[in-house]
This record gives sequence, C-alpha cells and structure tokens, in this order.
Amino acid sequence: MTRPETSALDEKTERTVHVQGIATHIFEAGDSTNPPLVYLHGTFLGNLWLDYHKALAQHFHVFAPDTPGYGLTERPDWMRDMSDYILYFRDLLNVLGLQTTHIVGHSLGGWMAAEIAVWYPERVNKLILSNAAGIRVKGAPIADLFAMNWEEIVALNFDDPSAAKPLMRTEVNIDHLVQYYKEQMTLATLAWNPSYDPKLQRRLAQLICPTLVVWGANERVIPPIYGTVLQETIPNAKLIMLAGTGHMPMFEKHEEWAGVITQFLQENV
Amino acid sequence: MNKLTFHYFHLMPWPHLPEDFDEKYDSAWVTLPNALYDPVKGHALYERYFNEIERADRLGWDGVIVNEHHQNAYGTMPSPNIMAAVLTQRVKRAKIGIIGNALPLHEDPLRVAEEIAMLDVISGGRIISGFVRGTGMEYFSYNVNPTTSRERMDEAHDLIIQAWTRPGPFAFEGEHYRYRYVNIWPRPIQQPPPIWLPGLASRETIDFAAAHKYPYMTVFMSMEQRERAYDLYRRLAEEKYGYEAKPEQLGFCTPVIIAPTDDEAMRIGEKYAMWLFNKGLKVRPEFFLPPGYMSPQSFKGALQSGIFSVLDRKATFKELVETGVIIAGSPATIIEKLSYHTEVLHAGMFVSTGHVGEIPDELVLQQQELLAKEVMPHFREQLVAQQL
Repeated sequence: MTRPETSALDEKTERTVHVQGIATHIFEAGDSTNPPLVYLHGTFLGNLWLDYHKALAQHFHVFAPDTPGYGLTERPDWMRDMSDYILYFRDLLNVLGLQTTHIVGHSLGGWMAAEIAVWYPERVNKLILSNAAGIRVKGAPIADLFAMNWEEIVALNFDDPSAAKPLMRTEVNIDHLVQYYKEQMTLATLAWNPSYDPKLQRRLAQLICPTLVVWGANERVIPPIYGTVLQETIPNAKLIMLAGTGHMPMFEKHEEWAGVITQFLQENV
Repeated sequence: MNKLTFHYFHLMPWPHLPEDFDEKYDSAWVTLPNALYDPVKGHALYERYFNEIERADRLGWDGVIVNEHHQNAYGTMPSPNIMAAVLTQRVKRAKIGIIGNALPLHEDPLRVAEEIAMLDVISGGRIISGFVRGTGMEYFSYNVNPTTSRERMDEAHDLIIQAWTRPGPFAFEGEHYRYRYVNIWPRPIQQPPPIWLPGLASRETIDFAAAHKYPYMTVFMSMEQRERAYDLYRRLAEEKYGYEAKPEQLGFCTPVIIAPTDDEAMRIGEKYAMWLFNKGLKVRPEFFLPPGYMSPQSFKGALQSGIFSVLDRKATFKELVETGVIIAGSPATIIEKLSYHTEVLHAGMFVSTGHVGEIPDELVLQQQELLAKEVMPHFREQLVAQQL
C-alpha cells in the first residue's frame, strides 16, 4: 500500500524572517530531516506555492523566499545591484540556519543562484540552474521583457498558455498594477543595462559544486544556447533539455522538471 | 510688463509616414524603421523648418524653442544644441530656448554645460535652457536605466548650475557623475541662463521646479490637468518654499490652430493636427513608461488621475479642443482662451506648437501672421497700459 500523497509532509508553512532589515516572506515545506533546498524564483514569480514546489518538497526540506522586490518582500532602495542580493542571500542562509544547501534557481533566480555559488562555494552543495539568466551569448539576445505587455510576456514565456493560469488575475486593480510596476523596477534595477554580469561566465569556470543545467528546448526568453554555454563553462556540469516546454518548464512539465532535479540532487557524486 | 510672453516651439516632425503606417507600425518611436526617413527630403524639411522659425522671430515672438528627441518620427532633433547653434545665426532678436536637453540620457552632463555656455556666448546671452529627463521611449533608445533617471536628473542639474556659476576649478562629487576638475571655458553670459522645466504633471518635477523657482511648462495637458498642476506648483511655492509664484513661472505648451474663423480653424485642425496625437505620439505603452521612470507613488497617482490620456488616441480633434489640450479658433476665440489662462490661471508663458504633421507652409504662415498681428498685441504691455 502506498502512502497517500496528502500526508502531513505536504503541508507548507509561511512566515516572515528578517534579513538585513528586510521582512522576507518565505514558504517552507518538507521533512526537516531531508536535505535542505533553497528555491530562488524568477522575475514576477514571487509569492507562489505550486505543484513544482510541492514536488520538490516530497524529497527535500524546501525554502522558497520571495526575493526582495517580488511577492510580499519589499526591496529597500539601497538594494541596487546583484552584489546586494548575494550578501542578502548569504545572511538569509544564516538566518535559516543553513550552513550548506542545495540551491535551485530559475531565470533571474538562476542568475542569483550562480552568483551565490561563485562567491560562497562552501555554502552550496549542488546547484541547479533552470533557464538561468546571468551571462551573455553574443548574437543570441535575451528577450526584452521591458518592451512587452503582460499578455506578450505570457505568450513568450509559455508554450502552453493554460499552464500560466496561476499567474493570471480575473480582476486587475490599481494596487496590482502598482505591484507589477514595482516588480518591473526591481528587474530593471538588476538587468536593464547590462542585462547580465559581464564577469560571471569567467567566474563560473572556477565553480566547484556539482551543477545541473535544466532548460526548455523551446525556450524563447533565454535561448537554449545559454544552457549549452553554461554547461560548457561550468566544470563537469550536466545539461538536460526538456522537450515540449520553454522558459517555464516548472509550470508546464512540473513532474519531469522536479524529477530530473531530484534525481541529480540524490545521486552520489 | 507683458501679460503673456509668446514662444514658438518647433517639434520638427518627420511627417512623411507611409500610407499603411496605422496598420503596420505600433510605434513612431524606438522601433519605427529608419528606412522610412529620407535624408534628401530631410534636408529640404530642415530648411523649411528653420525658415519658419526665422519668420517667428521677425513676426515678434519672444522666444523660439527646440528640443531633444531620439529615434522617432515625432521630432527629428536628436541634438538640440546643434539646432540652437543654427538658430544663433538665423534668429536675430528672439530668445533661443532649448527645452530641453535630456540630462539623464547623457553620460557626460559637463558637455551639456559647455555647449549651453558656448551657445549663450555666441547668441549674446539669449539662451533659455530647459532641462528634461527625456521621454520613457528614450530610455529604450539610449539604453539608460530608467530607475536612476530622477537621481541623474537632479545630479546633472546641480553639476551644470555649478559649472555655470561657481568659479572653477572645483571637484563635483556625485553618485552618478564625478569630476575632479570642473572648470568650463567659455562661461555663459547669463548667470545662469534661465532654466525651464516642462512636465507631464509628475509631482516630483513640479516640486523640483517650485523649489528652484523655475518656470514649469505643462505639455499637451487638458485644462483640468493644467489647473491641477498649477495649483500644486503654487501650493508648494507658498507652503513649502515660502514665496508666491509669479505668472512667468507658469507656462503652457499647447498646439494652436488659428484661422480667420472658428469653422476654418476646426477644419484645418481636423485635417492636420491629429497627426501629432495619432501618428507622432503613437507609442507602445511599454515604451512610454519604462519601470522607474516615475516613482511608484507617482505611477499610482497617474493611474488614479488618468494622466495617461495623452496616449488615448481615440480622442477626436473636437474633444481635444473641448478639454483644452489643443487651442483652436479665430483670433477672437484664441484671445478669449488665452485670457482665461492669464486672468484665471495666472499663467504668463504661452508656448505654441505651430507646425503640426503635414500642414502646408502657407497655412503655417497664415497662422503665424494671425497670431502675431491679431492676438499678441492684446497681451502686450502698451495695450494693457492704454486700456488702464
């Protein structure tokens, strides 16, 4: 007899932790005796607890904070560049009592995850970069999300528009528009110009933690070539291209996406 | 003193857009292919526009004005200081306004300080220097981070004023701009050249203008928005900065269509003026307002007040006239409308955009002459004195 999926392990908790004076909203789930995993979301994807989080929480002690500037975590005005975020995340790990952890980062969160691994290699067990930003591949520009409206962004991000349902609002009020504007400001602060870290690729070549690069084969926001270049740059990195999905594999193929990540994190190196 | 000063603002549009522009292109800015610009026609067009400005000078305008816009069909003056340099040689009497240099777009505002100083010396102290942040679209075209726009504006402003007025050399220590030696040669004649700030009603700009006693010029606003902006300026001047705002601190930039009769003005307006709103200002909303160009607080205020209606291309010419975005009519009607600005709003600077879209030169001439000969005298000192 199999254990029902709706066990107590499925339950998430939601709380606010204070890091560098920033009230940080965070989801936590999974058996605390399992290995810890910090999930760093992409732009506009804060304050979500969805199937892909739950799938990871089946095997890991998952921490999913809202990155400052997204969801329910405010970005203070002094947080102006990636270095502020890296130091913030170092202190977040301290506050959470995580000496070492797996880090899974998607898109903008992937860029942050890669930077954390570069600067604090002793804190990262294994690194997962899913459809990650952070580097530049000449001749293959990342899509200009600033030039697009919400509908265009969704159309570009999702192969299957129905998978975007958790992000769609039935009713939009002024507060929603202001929140979205502020989240765009956070993205602009980090990625208007340049939209990457010119030094990151060189530094990633020195990375020591086992790294899995996961991408959607139909990716139209950060072209698949970025996944290939990351895999070629990071020593011993593995690349998995998921078919039938693009920038949002965790929405469109959550079982597959969580499956390859879980397998990579559980295998002995 | 004159009740109203008159300034002739030329936007220098590229009017020759293709027939299928409306269907084929979603923006006259940033992404409109520059293959649509014909440099040979452009040469003739510049010549015609310069002649028009020269005429405004001869007909008695107090000032002529150019501005800075990038990569668009709305206005073909990416370097306003080049245009002003040309005008120093063609415009003999009027002041020459550059309204303005888009400070945050430039990595080197000291260059702006130098160029304005040169122009002021060349023109014999006739330069009016506007400072603007540039439109949202230009943050795409120049790839400047819009979230630091306001800070760069404030800093560049301080640097330029100091460069003009403070004996050099000195060091300027900003967050965005740093110079070890500020020591411009030549220095401007005017200490400093007058500063104007045009705006679309953001509270920050109005506050900044009021704080420095700089004239605030509303741009293409409805009467309701203009009144609100002036009220805010006056209130800030009085309550926050402790002085009473004068009429010459309040300007309004408005397209003007004038003809011998109201009907004719409406006909001309219907035919030509809407180019400005339907084509020249056709902009993807995302380009118009990049993130951080406004503070979240101003953004919220703008959503609530409906200021984004300038983007509402569904308004008809008649509606724009009714809401006061455009001034149109016979000389008598124009006098009445301008008198409302002087008597009720106590605004003292009228900035007319005379040339719109594809309007033919003979109509531009007619408008210039009607304004100069039949409207301006009503607001001039002598006439006011005679009436008393």
